[in-house]
Order: sequence, then C-alpha cells, then structure tokens
Amino acid sequence: MPVPGVWHRGVVEPADVPVASDPVLRDPAHRVSRRAVVMWTFQALVVLAVLLAGQVVWWLVDDAPSRTPHWVVGAVWLVAGAAYAVAMPQWRYRVHRWEATPRAIYTQSGWLWQERRIAPLGRVQTVDLERGPVAQLLGLAAVTVTTASAAGPVTIHGLDLPVARELVEALTAAAVAETGDAT
Amino acid sequence: MNEESAPGELREPADDTDGWRRLDARMLLVHPLETLIRFLPALLALVIFRAGSDQNDRWELYAVPLIVAFGVLRWVTTRYRITAGQIELRRGLFTKQTTTARLDKVRTIDLTAQVHHRLLGLAKVEISTAGGGHDRLVLDSLSVDAGRRLRAELLHRVDPAVTGLPAPTGAPVPADAVPGDAPPPVDDEVLVRLDPSWIRYAPLTVTGLASAAAIVGFASQGFSRFSQERSVFRDGASFVSRLSWWLDVLLLLGVVSLLAVGAYVLTFWGFRLTRNRLGTLHTRRGLLTNRETSIDAARVRGIRLDEPLGLRLAGARRLKVVTSGLLREQGGSDWLCPPAPAGVVTPLALRIRPDEAAVSGPLTPHGPAARRRRMTRALVPATLVAAGLVVARVLWDWHGSLLVLVPMLFVGAVALGRDRYGALGHAVTPDHLVSRHGSLDRQRVVLDRDGIIGWKVEQSFFQRRVGVATLVATTAAGAQHYDVVDVPVEMAYAVLARVSPELSAEFS
Repeated sequence: MPVPGVWHRGVVEPADVPVASDPVLRDPAHRVSRRAVVMWTFQALVVLAVLLAGQVVWWLVDDAPSRTPHWVVGAVWLVAGAAYAVAMPQWRYRVHRWEATPRAIYTQSGWLWQERRIAPLGRVQTVDLERGPVAQLLGLAAVTVTTASAAGPVTIHGLDLPVARELVEALTAAAVAETGDAT
Repeated sequence: MNEESAPGELREPADDTDGWRRLDARMLLVHPLETLIRFLPALLALVIFRAGSDQNDRWELYAVPLIVAFGVLRWVTTRYRITAGQIELRRGLFTKQTTTARLDKVRTIDLTAQVHHRLLGLAKVEISTAGGGHDRLVLDSLSVDAGRRLRAELLHRVDPAVTGLPAPTGAPVPADAVPGDAPPPVDDEVLVRLDPSWIRYAPLTVTGLASAAAIVGFASQGFSRFSQERSVFRDGASFVSRLSWWLDVLLLLGVVSLLAVGAYVLTFWGFRLTRNRLGTLHTRRGLLTNRETSIDAARVRGIRLDEPLGLRLAGARRLKVVTSGLLREQGGSDWLCPPAPAGVVTPLALRIRPDEAAVSGPLTPHGPAARRRRMTRALVPATLVAAGLVVARVLWDWHGSLLVLVPMLFVGAVALGRDRYGALGHAVTPDHLVSRHGSLDRQRVVLDRDGIIGWKVEQSFFQRRVGVATLVATTAAGAQHYDVVDVPVEMAYAVLARVSPELSAEFS
C-alpha cells in the first residue's frame, strides 16, 4: 500500500551527491493500488472477447462441413488467453512501482518487457490525470508526466484516486517552480 | 524586432502599416502552375477521354479563372510580420487564422526553391519552432532575397548590445546587390563544400540504392505495359534475356549505380555547409530543387556519424546533425555532410563538436552476452531460410544448385553478427554520451549530456535472463531517444550515474 504523503524523502543538495558504489538503482518505493489487478484482468478479458467475436464470425461464415478446425483453434487461444488473463495482471502488479521526489519521478512497469523510467521534474512539461471507464468504477487513475521528448512520457497506471490527485498537485507545483523551456 | 532598422530602399514587397508584409506577388504565377501540375493526371485523362467523343465543350477552361482568383485571394489575405518578439502569420478570408510563434522558439528555417520557384526567383520559407511537426509557419513564396533577409532577422535576433558581438549581418545590402548564387558573407566560415569526386560513393549507400530501386520498379511497371505493344521494347527484352547471367548482373549494377549517382547529384549538388559567427549552421544543396537550411546553434544537441557498410568499406562516412525543431519525417536530423571520405568527415565532426574522445575515440564494448545476442539474431533467420531451402528441395524438387546458398547464408550471418557486435559500444565524455550500433546502417551518435532530459532502462524477458539492458537517453532533439543497446545492467546504471549523478543518487 502506498505510504501516506507523496514525497518520501527530503531535498538532496547537489553538493552532497555521492556516486554510489553500486550504481544499480533500487526499486521505486511505492506499489500501485491492489485494484489495478482487477483493471488489468478486465483489459485481458476485452482481448479475449475480441478473439471470441472473431471465432464466432468464422463459425458462421465457414461453409466447410468439418468443425474440427474451429474447436482446435478455439481451444488453443482459450488456453493461451486464460493463462494471459490470470498471469499478466499478477505479474504486472508485482513489477509496477513508482516514486516521486521533489527532483524527479521514477517508475517501473511492464511484465514480459519491463522498463524503468526516470525524468527530472525540471524537464516536465505537462502532468495529466486520466481515468478510463473501468478505472472510474474501481476508483483508480493514471498519471502521465510528459517532457519535451516525444519518447519520454512517464505514466503510472492504477493509482488510487486520492494518491493520484495528491501526486498531480505535488508534481505540478514542482514543475511550475522550475523555469526554462525544458528542452 | 529589427526590421524597423531595414531601410525603405530594401524594396519590401507591399509593406503596409504596422509592419505587415505580404508574400511576393510572383507567387500568383506559382500557384496556378502547382495546381496544374497536381491535376495533370486528371487533365490527361480528360484529354484522352475527349479524343474518343465528338463533344466540343471545353468546360475545364472555366476552372482557370477560379484557380487564378483563388491564388489572388491567398495573396491578398496572407500577411506576416515580426513584432514584439513574435512572428505572426495571418491567413484566410472568412475564417481568419493567425499563427504566432515566439522568436526564441524558432529552431530552424528552411528555404526551398523548386524549379518553377527558381525560374521566378522565389523560395518557400518554412519556419519550424519548438514542438516539431505542427508548429510550422510556411510562407509560400517570398522572393529569395526577402526570404534570406527574413531568415537573418529571425536567426540573428540576438541583440548585439547584449552579446557584445558586432551586428551579425553587417550593413544592410540592397536586394538588387544580392545575386542569386551569392557567396556567403565574409565572416562566415565554410566548413565543407561538395567535391564532385565524392559522387563515386553514391551507389554505396542504402538511400542511393533505395531511390534507384524505386526508379527501376517504376520503370519496369511502365516497361511491362509497353512491352506487349512496342517492338523496340520486345526486341530489347529478348536481347537482354539472351545475354549470359553475369552480363545481366553487370547491366543491372550499372543501371542502379547510374540512378544512384543521379539521385546523389539531384540531392547534394552544390552542397555547402557554413557557420556564421553566432554559430548558426547553414546548408545549401540541390540541383533542381534548391534547399537552404539554417539551424540555430543553441538548438543543436549533438551529431550523428553514419558509417553504413558500403561507405565503411570504401573509407567514407556521412554526417548529420541532431537538433530540435526539424521535421519528424526527416528523422529529426539534417545533413551536415553528404557521403564523403572519412578524412573529410571526421575533422568536420570535430569542428562542430570539438571532443576527440567522443567523435573518434575508442568505445567500451558490451561483452559476451551482447555478442551472443547479436549472433542469435543473425543465425536464427539464416537457419530458417536454410531449412526452407532444404525442405523445398526435398518436397518440391527445387533445383539442387540452390543448396549452394546454404553455406553462403551461414557465412554471411556469422559475418553480420560479428560486425554488429563490433559496432556495439558506448562512451561517456565530460560533455557527451556516445553510442554506436548497427552494421548495414552503423551510426555513432554523439549526444550532448545537457540535452538528455530523461532515461529509460528497458529489459525484455531474454535480456533479463542474460543480465543486459537497453539504456535509452530521451531528448527533445533528433530521433527523440538514443539507445545504448544490450549493455550489462550494472554498466547501464553506471552510465546513468555518470551522466546524471543527481538523478542516480536520488534513487540508489
């Protein structure tokens, strides 16, 4: 569960920045909301529904007398899809973490492909809070921080709404404090 | 800003109150011409259709006054001005559209003159500002001189009193005194000028080959359409097919090389890179379409040295600039030097980024895991193709000589894998992050450290298993991100810690 308060550490002055002996960064401090698992499961079910629709269309259109190919193909994607719907959300939940300090934002996301992103707040251009329909039902929100680079938006999915609101406020305040054109 | 200082004798086209300026009146000719070219296929179809009927109504002529009126309207309604640190462009009759851009956001300025522009002494001015794609102001067209003056106003807006530099462009030059192919002002240093002998590198680049292939493809389509009807084509085709295969190959190589040379000449003829005393880089190139690009030095975030396989074997390189504000379609970078000998390109790179270690120094290799991954990636497709050939031989009785390809495939794959591993490397210098990768398209990117605005550390499932990662530096310039590929995880974080120590300390 996210600890109360978005900033977890005080300001580190540049003068006392040590270059750590082990430079590998630790995990970001906070996990996302547990309910994100439900959201990701729902997303997986949407994918399965699309596949099912394709299967039904094929069943209706196909004139061949044998229905064996249908059952084989259906069984294959059903097994793979079920594994996906069960494993992916749990896996994601274990990977997804985030942390924000007055200087920078740091996230970890993905499942098969994982990535960590770091953006200094001095380079932040916009801070967005998004809530899809499912996220709204679950009381979740996603926070996106964009920089001047088209390759660098940092998104944290599946945050508790109050946490997300607090984060957006803190990030906006920090970004406003910085000047320059952020390129 | 300083257009007030430009005296009246500069013959501003239709300068009216409040500093509003119009496009050049000669654009009235350009517009109908461009419309005509755009609708040429439709017109041809119409003419062919008309030939079959005895109808005599030339109704398409009614379109001519409309097109002309549209052009006049565009000329009347389009105005631009520079005022209070902004450039404003106003367009439209019913829906007035005003685009403004802050002058300190102007990144690059392009002057493009296609053949019909050049005949009329015109140029299209494109001003790109921060944010890339949609933030562009296009003035189609100004006279070449007005375009150059506008460019000088926009790029040299720095107040000389502030910088302590003398006025950047010297005394105002009357427009008539600027001939079409004016030499650069004396205080601009010429960094590189095209040597016609460099054209020999044209067939060695993928771009050259691709443009040649496109032309060949296009021609062969037309060829197959005519070959049934015209005996010349039929005789030619049968002549070619009677030749022995190696002559065919030679013929093909010759044609492709010629076309690549043609493309090179069209693109790079008269190439010249200059730098003025404010550091603005300025290129000019093109045989038929003349293109001038000016890049504000403050927007340059690094350089990219390209060493594609063909050029590398011939001892040649080419150079691009990494800058914010250029079009994404151009890959966000523009030429600083066309394919040229390494002995020209490396010193040039050093003059733009004087950092010997970054431009030509040795790089840290990425180790055995990265080597294995390069080999896997080269050998797996080769194995699949080889298996396909064997299966085809067994099942469908393909010609046995095709099996000769199998060992060639593997030799080629191993060579490619080794070469790709040889390219992998990175370096951190006091000012730059350097990354190199690729074989057929090898490139060495020298990125300014203060141009890096964020980091990503990406790991696929297989990368995690062997303990490597791809370190991505994000930037507002060029390709928006530059990657250090398959570097051991600890090394990736060490690079991050060296380049951005305060970020690394925050989370370690």
